[in-house]
Amino acid sequence: MSRWFGPEGLTERAQLALGSTAIVASVAIPALAGNQYWTHTFHLVNLYVVVAVLQNMLLADAGQVSFGQGAVFGASAYTVGLVSTLHGVSPPLAVVLGVLAGLALGALFALPALRVQGYYLGFVTLSVAMVFPELLVAFSEYTNGVNGIGLPVPVLNAPLVANVTPLSLLVIALACGALAAHVGLRRAQLGRRMRVAAASPEAALTLGFSPGRARSAAFVIAALGTSLAGVLYVPVVGFLSPSAFHVELSIFFFFSVIVGGRGRLLGPIVGVWILYLVPNVLLVDLVNYRLIGYGLVALAIMLLFPDGIVGSIEQSLRRRLQTRSAEVRVDWMMSVPPTAMARSGQSDPDAGRAEPMISVRRVRKSYGALAALNGVNLDVARCTIHGLVGPNGSGKTTLLNVLSGLVRADEGAIDIKGHDTTRRPADDTARLGTGRTFQTPRVFDDLSIWDNVLIGAGLRRADDGRGWLFQALASVEAAWREQRPDTLPHAQRRLLEVLRVVATDADVLLLDEPAAGLSAEERRDFALLLRHLRDALGKTVVLVEHDLDLVWRVADRITVLDAGTIVAEGAPQAIVGDANVRALFTGRPDA
Amino acid sequence: MLEVQHLHAGYGRVPVLHDVSLDVRAGEVVLVLGANGAGKSTLLRTIAGFVKAERGSVRLNGVDITGQPPEENVRRGLRLVLDGHRVFPELSVADNLRLGAAVHRERIDFDTLAGPVLDFFPVLRDKLRSPARDLSGGQQQMLALGQAFVARPAVLLCDEPSLGLARALIAPILEFIRNWARAGVAVLIVEQQIDLALSLADRALVLERGAITLSGSADELKRDPRVQEIYLGVAGAPGAAG
Amino acid sequence: MDELVIILVRGIGLGAVYSLVAMSFNIVHNSSGILNFAQGNMLVLGGLFAFFLLPQEPTVARWLLLLPAAALLYAAVLALQGYVTLLPLRSSVEQHSWLITTLAVSVIIGAVILIAQGPHALSVKSPFANFRLLGTRTPTAYALAALLALGWYAALRWFHARTITGLAMSALAQDLEAARAVGLRVRRLQLYAFAISGAIVGSAGFVAAPVMSISADSGIIYVVNGFIAAVIGGLGSNAGALIGGPLVGVAGMYAAFQYGGQFQNAVSLALLIAVLMLRPEGLFGRARARRV
Repeated sequence: MSRWFGPEGLTERAQLALGSTAIVASVAIPALAGNQYWTHTFHLVNLYVVVAVLQNMLLADAGQVSFGQGAVFGASAYTVGLVSTLHGVSPPLAVVLGVLAGLALGALFALPALRVQGYYLGFVTLSVAMVFPELLVAFSEYTNGVNGIGLPVPVLNAPLVANVTPLSLLVIALACGALAAHVGLRRAQLGRRMRVAAASPEAALTLGFSPGRARSAAFVIAALGTSLAGVLYVPVVGFLSPSAFHVELSIFFFFSVIVGGRGRLLGPIVGVWILYLVPNVLLVDLVNYRLIGYGLVALAIMLLFPDGIVGSIEQSLRRRLQTRSAEVRVDWMMSVPPTAMARSGQSDPDAGRAEPMISVRRVRKSYGALAALNGVNLDVARCTIHGLVGPNGSGKTTLLNVLSGLVRADEGAIDIKGHDTTRRPADDTARLGTGRTFQTPRVFDDLSIWDNVLIGAGLRRADDGRGWLFQALASVEAAWREQRPDTLPHAQRRLLEVLRVVATDADVLLLDEPAAGLSAEERRDFALLLRHLRDALGKTVVLVEHDLDLVWRVADRITVLDAGTIVAEGAPQAIVGDANVRALFTGRPDA
Repeated sequence: MLEVQHLHAGYGRVPVLHDVSLDVRAGEVVLVLGANGAGKSTLLRTIAGFVKAERGSVRLNGVDITGQPPEENVRRGLRLVLDGHRVFPELSVADNLRLGAAVHRERIDFDTLAGPVLDFFPVLRDKLRSPARDLSGGQQQMLALGQAFVARPAVLLCDEPSLGLARALIAPILEFIRNWARAGVAVLIVEQQIDLALSLADRALVLERGAITLSGSADELKRDPRVQEIYLGVAGAPGAAG
Repeated sequence: MDELVIILVRGIGLGAVYSLVAMSFNIVHNSSGILNFAQGNMLVLGGLFAFFLLPQEPTVARWLLLLPAAALLYAAVLALQGYVTLLPLRSSVEQHSWLITTLAVSVIIGAVILIAQGPHALSVKSPFANFRLLGTRTPTAYALAALLALGWYAALRWFHARTITGLAMSALAQDLEAARAVGLRVRRLQLYAFAISGAIVGSAGFVAAPVMSISADSGIIYVVNGFIAAVIGGLGSNAGALIGGPLVGVAGMYAAFQYGGQFQNAVSLALLIAVLMLRPEGLFGRARARRV
């Protein structure tokens, strides 16, 4: 496939090129033509594009609703203006102070985001955006209030060559830079983590990183870019007044992202151009109608084209270009080379007497009056498959959650690989070497299939890094990079989730009802995979399952839970023949 | 009265039900058995309209109700009692019953509607004004059944009414359901406890990973050793055939 | 002393308006999880209704006649907004579209007011004379707003406890799935909730018009303060709204008197942040607000 088109439509590279071209053209053409008015307009438009690109990242990638980016923008602009004019600070220092001010405010938004979510954060940031201009007026003695601050910057506006000013170059650089930064972020581990944290904080924890930290990083990055744009606002407009940073500005940025298409790289450009240019420039007489324009366009888009303009175009392109279907298959996973650990386990006669991989002692967990786990003791030997079964409400999933660290036990102790993990947070336990899959596969449709696997890799200190992964999956890497998993059937999504966990190099795999929804043949393949994981890769697998068929087939040892207590434990033959166990599953005391 | 044909359904991308067909006649109690995860709850939820069927149809007295939301189906006479004795905790027993009866277009006297329930479960009458959260699990299950009863459905779907209840409470609840059926209602009930439920039912079918693998009269299934094997997944057990 | 009385009386009066906005939030939020950004501008519209339909020298009779009319009109308007807002939620894909659609509606209303009436605040005359309370002259509208808040509180309590529709609506908040299983028509009830919220803010805007800021800009101030009042009391609790409103009102009045009117909202913001950091579920709320 060409470098410009993929099964999803335009590739990221193509979109970046297209966006940058639009940015450069929008500034260069009026400048070269000597049209002051349009040059100035597009200077401002491109600054707004920078803020919108970062808002897009914050909203779509990190899942954070912020109506306060206008205040961040204004804070940095005003700081530059204030320190330069009223305190005579030198321009470079003023810039630094401006950026710091904006950063501080933007990063502060991360604090409430750690406590509450969704619309709460929206209201807090909206309040800040509302209060910001009011405070500027309230402290008139320091800010010159409604009279504003005039601060022309002639040196940046002096033409360099062919009417192009240094300011134009700076604006172009910043805008293209913001776009490139967004693309770069998405390709980086941090960008992947942000998106995972936004989609499923639980999955983030089990993959070894803290969703809170990923979120905070997003706020800081957004604040940095927005502040830089705010700094450039000063030479672009040459005048600062509180009314320029009205709450309406923050709402404009948010709506631009939505109208263009949340999450689409080019969305902010389209959104800003439509919402700013149409009322402010093309309908000059009707400038009072611009607010109505924002509202009506945003409303119409939400009702008719919820993906936004760019989003809708991308969707129809995607439908037309869908040529190949990527696949995730068991045999690829089985081609992963065996590890040293497995080899040693097989040849070592003392392996059976080695320390258990997982050790659970007297663990209790209650939810109110209900005891989910009532003094559970369990040992899981290394390189074994250990089945955990029991009727509904027996506590199996709670036990798995306690082992992963997603739930903290009220009493008792848990030891994994010799470390006490009882009080450890889940991401810590994950970094120790435990991996987890969930009843509904936590597969992230916003990331490509390849990125879904990659989010797991690099979790630990794995000696040969991603070497073995690249080798085993070399044949499918290209296809997986270009496609998203939303077209995969359920069984393949399950396999993808397991593959990701294997990619983390976790020694302990905690699987929650992995066979749910798999056909008979798929279950047979899955059993093969589990045995391969144990034998060739040396993994220790704890398997919570309803599907007793699979468990009998594959487990080395089985623990049976009922109402939070262990009622039986042993090899499958012993368990199947145990009268109590039979009674438990069939409700027949005389079974 | 209730006719289900070639039903396929699942949650999102996870397929659960495969080509399920069954029928329940007025006055009959049909029991759905199966191990955990077999899809029993999903079956009831799909029939009631909580889960969208991918393929197949559900007919109530000849009328196609496939894909209709549960709220509308209650008005047509099909009522699902969810698992987990779910009632409205902050509302009184009386108010819970009143809401159950809200589907009737004409005003029917409360005592007329709820009388039989309160007679059969006197504890509900005692606690008529108490909020439902003050009731025990078993009493809440009685209330949940009563809530469905006052809606006077033609078809009743019941999801594991005995789950989590003390043994002593299960018998009266199942008896209530049997009497209800004798009055002419078609009952489709899911239960884990094989023996108790088989004594209540006329016919039964066994669901295994989303498909019906065994069906017959209750007596037949009571004696059939394969039922137990299916529950234990014994077909794949070490030492067993296959 | 005089000043303190003024702050208290006006703070509680203004706070009553915030309580009413909070109550209108609660009923919609309890039934559908939606927070209607447009409530602030709907309140302003209620004030506009008074501006247009009350003559220069209004009589008590006319006022009494127009009050229920305002409630009914805005019940209809909000039912319409509710319909539009709930529409995209049919498909499970866009579960957060309401954030944007309610904000868009709020922006549109503000813009329409701006175009029709210009940017300046409008004033409405009250048919009631000022009265003396603890030695200070107080506009009656403050007392009436407080009475209205108490009245709506009682009415809503009665509604949720004694009518089938009210019971059904509160059932939605307790267990949505069970409500559907019982046969309650969820969408219809959610629309009723919107309509009732409209009656609340419409009547509130009408009653408080003489002391409100009726302008294109003030909607957002009312919605933010109303939200803060709701959060302090516990989102979903009307008893909390009755307490949260005056708290915000008095704090803001105090700030205005001490430091100047420009600080009123900054103080509200500080209160919001404090509550969210210390006790996000508010005074009477359940601990659902906390996150992972």
